[in-house]
Amino acid sequence: MTAIVDFATWIKATKLSAFVVHSPWVWPAAETVHFIGLAMLIGVIALMDLRLLGLAKRLPFAPLHRLLPWAIAGFVLCLMTGTVFFAGEPFQYIHNSVFWFKILFIALAGTNVLVFYVTGIFHEVEKLGPGDDAPRAAKLIAVVSLFLWIGVMYLGRMLPFLGEAF
Amino acid sequence: MEFLSWLEQSSFSVWMRESPSVWAYPMVLFMHTLGLGLLVGASMVIDLRVLGCSRDLPLEPMKKFFPVMWIGFWINALSGLALVTIDATAMLTNPLFYVKLIFIALAITCGRFIGKLAFSDALADKGPLPPSKILAAASLVFWMAAITAGRLTAYLFKDVGVADLSH
Repeated sequence: MTAIVDFATWIKATKLSAFVVHSPWVWPAAETVHFIGLAMLIGVIALMDLRLLGLAKRLPFAPLHRLLPWAIAGFVLCLMTGTVFFAGEPFQYIHNSVFWFKILFIALAGTNVLVFYVTGIFHEVEKLGPGDDAPRAAKLIAVVSLFLWIGVMYLGRMLPFLGEAF
Repeated sequence: MEFLSWLEQSSFSVWMRESPSVWAYPMVLFMHTLGLGLLVGASMVIDLRVLGCSRDLPLEPMKKFFPVMWIGFWINALSGLALVTIDATAMLTNPLFYVKLIFIALAITCGRFIGKLAFSDALADKGPLPPSKILAAASLVFWMAAITAGRLTAYLFKDVGVADLSH
């Protein structure tokens, strides 16, 4: 925990932190971008998960998967604007358990993505043509993915209520 | 104005606003975020495909994604109605709120036309034609604008209102 407090103290002393806190428009602008990033990420991921679960089954999986860079771009937007919030008010996050649960859920979602690619499930799924049913392992990955990303949104929204961070 | 005060002083609004339960106001805010993700997210995917991303993705089966958009829309219409009721005077006197509604109406209208035009293009086996692409680009712009106006509603023109609600 001391390393985290040290890091928070360091980031609070940066020019970025002062800029975020003292400029009236940075916080609202970053929130707006955070929500746009959220939509890009959730939109692409949820539709891929739903295809694996059997919705719009006539879509071949590989071309749908080619939209993944848009989800990654959305994630990067959220990561960057999230860093802005953290830099502005680091102490309201590090002392907030909801924040750490959100980080945990993001890490778990990342692990789920890793499992999808390294265990060969992706290789099987990549071959799915129109009308093909996804293997059970891929469906499990999809359910876990939906649960975790919706959880990330829930925890993010609960920051001001369960732990008094905005 | 009297009606708005009555609305925000109704037992539903007071409970929603003042209940410490995470099932009250925070839950409605979460639903509004989830609905945004589904509605705008699914629209974006369809728009990107119409604009030419991942061309070998067949358009016609993507019709099945429209219900995802509509589920998101209704989640947000209902949660949005609750959010307005809770904070009626502040929301309904905030010009940005109306700007947001206009952009949502425009974006939904684009979505409906894309549903008709682009998907009939697809059946003709040609790929989306320029009018569909213009609609898809407009839809993306309108959704970004709606999100921006919605977010800023929590910050600007906030001189009236019942409570210090955190958004």
